[in-house]
Amino acid sequence: MHVIIINGSPRTREFSNTAKIIHSFVKGLEKEIVTYELYSLSNLGEWDSARKAFLTNDKIIFALPMYVDSIPSLILEFLETLQSQVLSTSGIGYISNEEGGGRTLSFILHGGFDEGSQFRLCEKLLKSITIQIGCYYGGCLIKGGSFFLRLFERDKVERMTKPYTKMGISYARHGNFVTPEAKRFTGPECYPWLVRQFTGIFLKLVVNKKFEQFALDWGCYEPLDNKPYAQIK
Amino acid sequence: MTIVINTLKENSYNEQILSLLDGKDSHVKITDTKDLVIHHCIGCNVCWLKTPGQCAIKDDYKQIIQQLVSAQNLWLVSDTRYGFIDYRGKRIMDRIMPMLNVNVEIRDGWMRHQLRYHALNVGVIYQGDGDKELLQEWTERCAMNLGGESLGVISLDKTGKEVASCM
Repeated sequence: MHVIIINGSPRTREFSNTAKIIHSFVKGLEKEIVTYELYSLSNLGEWDSARKAFLTNDKIIFALPMYVDSIPSLILEFLETLQSQVLSTSGIGYISNEEGGGRTLSFILHGGFDEGSQFRLCEKLLKSITIQIGCYYGGCLIKGGSFFLRLFERDKVERMTKPYTKMGISYARHGNFVTPEAKRFTGPECYPWLVRQFTGIFLKLVVNKKFEQFALDWGCYEPLDNKPYAQIK
Repeated sequence: MTIVINTLKENSYNEQILSLLDGKDSHVKITDTKDLVIHHCIGCNVCWLKTPGQCAIKDDYKQIIQQLVSAQNLWLVSDTRYGFIDYRGKRIMDRIMPMLNVNVEIRDGWMRHQLRYHALNVGVIYQGDGDKELLQEWTERCAMNLGGESLGVISLDKTGKEVASCM
């Protein structure tokens, strides 16, 4: 099997949480002797190659962060250009419901919030887009809690992303994320009431304090709730 | 105050939108993004962790944030692709992050970022073949993120009647 992986994060690869997740995921592919090509949409210079790879391969994975309960605008733009290229080009592939050619589109979706329920609307959109561009839907591997990948030290990041290697092995064996292990990977859909109460306290006393420390590390000495445009009111 | 951000490539609906809003809110301001330079959000987190409330991208979006700070209602006008808003419309919402701050809380049963200023109600006016149910759900989520309520989702192609009934 040969897989096309498109990193849909608008953040440059160096700082991309998605890239860190992919890095761990492909270790699983490699263990199963599955080859892959990787493209990053944050680099506009890779768009032509990414489009061509998309149109000439059957196994495609979009890896992306959730932005405002859906997909980043950058991916929407890429999909639009993909569509216009398909309409104007012949010979490198064709997408339609009838001629999808068995092309399966799967997704790795991540975001800052932990609960699976946060991602369901975005998942619905991804499934809908897949069908509309004439591909088979290969499921969506969903995991929250990724915000800190940008901020933590390397060894901690590796621990956080390690479970993706196992999912890479799973994908190599099944060719999609429509598996029980992919479903379990997300974790709890919603925290129970009591856990949620503790989470609220934890956020206030620990997580938000961590943000203050990270801001200091970034050279920020303003309060995080600063209101720079308040005077305009 | 009501802010309307019109991301349509051809802004032929502005007068229509203004007249429909006339009398519903005495302060309505429409901004066309057609001639503005607005880039994609790159998720750099600078607006949260380095210069809180200020985006690192120096483009025309600054004037939109400045308008939002004095607004109660935001109507996003957008074309559609794949049943959803197109990238021009989504770009406006992706760049709205400076209206929130990085701190997280549980609000209305959902884990959410805290509001930097005040609650903002959100509505979507769309052109083309939008999946209205999906857009409604998304608009509710956007409003919830911003501590406000959904103003609804309106198809421009169905024009006056639907818009008027919603306002």
